[in-house]
Amino acid sequence: MNDFVLIRKNLFRKKLRAVLMIVSILIAFAIFGVLAAFERAFNAGEAVAEDDRLVVVNKINFTQPLPIAYFNRVQGIEGVRRVTHANWFGGYYQDPKNFLIVLAVEPESYLQIVDSDYVITPEMREAFIRERTGALVGESMAKKWGWKVGDRVPIASNIFSQKNGSRSWDMHIVGIFSKRKPQADTNVMLFQYDYFDETRSFGKDTIGWLILQTTSPEVNDRVAKTIDRGFANSSYETATDTEKAFNKAFVAQLGNIALIVQLVVGAAFVTILMIVGNTMVMAVRERTREIGVLKTLGFSGSRVLRLILGETVLLAIIGGVPGIALAALAIVNMRESVGNFLPGLTLEPSILAIAFVLMIGLGLATGLAPAIHAFRLKIADAMGRG
Amino acid sequence: MRSLFLQIAAVTAINIRSIPQRFWLSLSTVVAVALVVMVLLSFLAMANGFQRTLKGAGAADIAIVLRGGSQSEINSVISREQVRLIEDGPGIARGADGKPLVSAELYIVVDGIKRSTQTKANIPLRGIGTEGAAIRKDIKLVAGRMFNPGANEIVVGKSLLSQFQGFDLGSKVKFLTTQWTVVGVFAADGSVFESEIWGDLPVVQSLFNRNNVFQTVRARIDSPAALAELKHFADADPRLKLDVKSEQEYFAEQSSQTSDLIQKLGWPLAIAMALGALAGALNTMYSSVAARSVEIATLRAIGFGGFPAFIGTLAESLLLAGIGGALGAVATYLVFDGFTTSTLGTGFTQVVFSFRLTPALIAEGLALALTVGLIGGLLPAVRAARTPIVKGLQG
Repeated sequence: MNDFVLIRKNLFRKKLRAVLMIVSILIAFAIFGVLAAFERAFNAGEAVAEDDRLVVVNKINFTQPLPIAYFNRVQGIEGVRRVTHANWFGGYYQDPKNFLIVLAVEPESYLQIVDSDYVITPEMREAFIRERTGALVGESMAKKWGWKVGDRVPIASNIFSQKNGSRSWDMHIVGIFSKRKPQADTNVMLFQYDYFDETRSFGKDTIGWLILQTTSPEVNDRVAKTIDRGFANSSYETATDTEKAFNKAFVAQLGNIALIVQLVVGAAFVTILMIVGNTMVMAVRERTREIGVLKTLGFSGSRVLRLILGETVLLAIIGGVPGIALAALAIVNMRESVGNFLPGLTLEPSILAIAFVLMIGLGLATGLAPAIHAFRLKIADAMGRG
Repeated sequence: MRSLFLQIAAVTAINIRSIPQRFWLSLSTVVAVALVVMVLLSFLAMANGFQRTLKGAGAADIAIVLRGGSQSEINSVISREQVRLIEDGPGIARGADGKPLVSAELYIVVDGIKRSTQTKANIPLRGIGTEGAAIRKDIKLVAGRMFNPGANEIVVGKSLLSQFQGFDLGSKVKFLTTQWTVVGVFAADGSVFESEIWGDLPVVQSLFNRNNVFQTVRARIDSPAALAELKHFADADPRLKLDVKSEQEYFAEQSSQTSDLIQKLGWPLAIAMALGALAGALNTMYSSVAARSVEIATLRAIGFGGFPAFIGTLAESLLLAGIGGALGAVATYLVFDGFTTSTLGTGFTQVVFSFRLTPALIAEGLALALTVGLIGGLLPAVRAARTPIVKGLQG
């Protein structure tokens, strides 16, 4: 009989108790898995951001417009490799509840800049640049609404209206693109700025924000300062930031999600630590006499210690692994319903790694007190008891 | 019957007096239930606080007029002509001087620095008409004075001041190339308006290059019933493609999404955690039954029934869970009630709100705790009642 068999037999000597402990560990890890994935998804914007990308917005706030002339002016600044611009459209399909992320963009430069995020084929690119009412749709949006290349769909705006009074624009889908980076969001529609600007009833010649690529991340600071200084004291002052910082600040507006996740996961783990820890103390105390027997047979104190720690670590893994599996299942089911505002909800490998470390940690923490007790136990005391 | 009650009382007393023997295990159940209740109640208090902040802002006798289909103020655009038509519309209350109690407004999103994170966040700067403060309910200046018409002056909401830096009374704030002076601080009974900055409409329009642009019209109406009249009027005139709602209705719509979301997160989390705590409770109660098997068997040998043993165990479980629930509620109250924070509301600006724990929410928390206690005690109680006396006496 090797040590592993001993560990296993000890763990399941009271089946019901073992099962209950496993269930509570399973739940703690399921909660951890789901919440960690949510937190990652909230911060996906930060993960997807490129180091050499800067975002230029109106200094008052990013919802305020900038003049289109800034597009050309920024292009000329030293250290700027490429510039593009985008405008928030406030789109929806058929019913205002069917909110869509739709951007009016400068086709050529926009596709160049997002090339590291999305897979855009040359045919798509060409069709999008050529066709005035052409639109590119991300894979997940196309799938959700059942759109295919060639479809013409009316997309309404809750902000803009056309000069003719209509609130909706006809979009001709000329391509459906997939993502290149796992965190990239394909729940998005792009259409031509020119089509948008010529038809809208107000706001002509303004854009939402500029995205630019610098020649290297080292010049980011200098480029940002040059841009902001250049437009200082004009009626449209700018605030330039890295894409990463911009996305991070935006997520921070929702609230301290990381803190909420930490508190809830913390509460779940404290609960489990108490339940399992106390149960294990009790379980080992019941076995005092047996431990005495083992020591009499020549088991060293450290081997007994290993047996007990092995038992709690095994318990944590038997509970933790299905817990994470349950989290993965839950996430797959939730992806559909939260996909609109939380794309890229997945259990990343790094979450799995953290979960594994937590399992080992939980196993050691719950086993420590009883293991040390057993380690120190003198044979005479053990055999004398109960 | 009397003897049954006496038996139940005796067994329950024995059960409860024996809790200290399993002190740590019992404590772990109490703490586990307390944490579950805390998680649930803090989410519910968050949802409730957010909802109160928005709903508190809405009055039934104030109409809000938005461009048709725009859903929230930030998306709406209204022309000067439309403002005039509304001012002369039916059902609109008039002041002593005969002027309509109407405020055309411009809603601009500006950046503020959040004190807690030192990051930029969206806050609303509202250009309001001369009647703007008067037609809203419960607006009180708590420091300074109202802005003067035509001046670069702003008043700020009390909540905004607590969460964002740089808006203290007397300080200068720069938007665009213009300096604005904070001349007053107002309270609005904790409603969403306290998260706003107000300035004189024409000044805001001109300094933000939005001459003659309006976004919403707020109007005091004669009675809540007059709203239908005004709606009908707007629908009938082709120049008015507008949505007319009571402010109450508008804010209820705005709040439901976010508070629903918070509740939808809170309940599943709490239920999942409750299942974990349930496993702990079952464990504790089975240990309790096992530890007292000799006592239980002895009692039954001298004529006690199985039912008192059942009730005794159940009572112990409910007591532990009840204490846990109460502890959780008290801890939530102490830690989170009144805790002020802000999040992005549907107006795309920060809404400052405070967690609010109510007796009804506490009752929900206690119900969850007692459910854990009931289910956690049930199976062990059955075992206590059913174990054959001979087996029990063997220990």
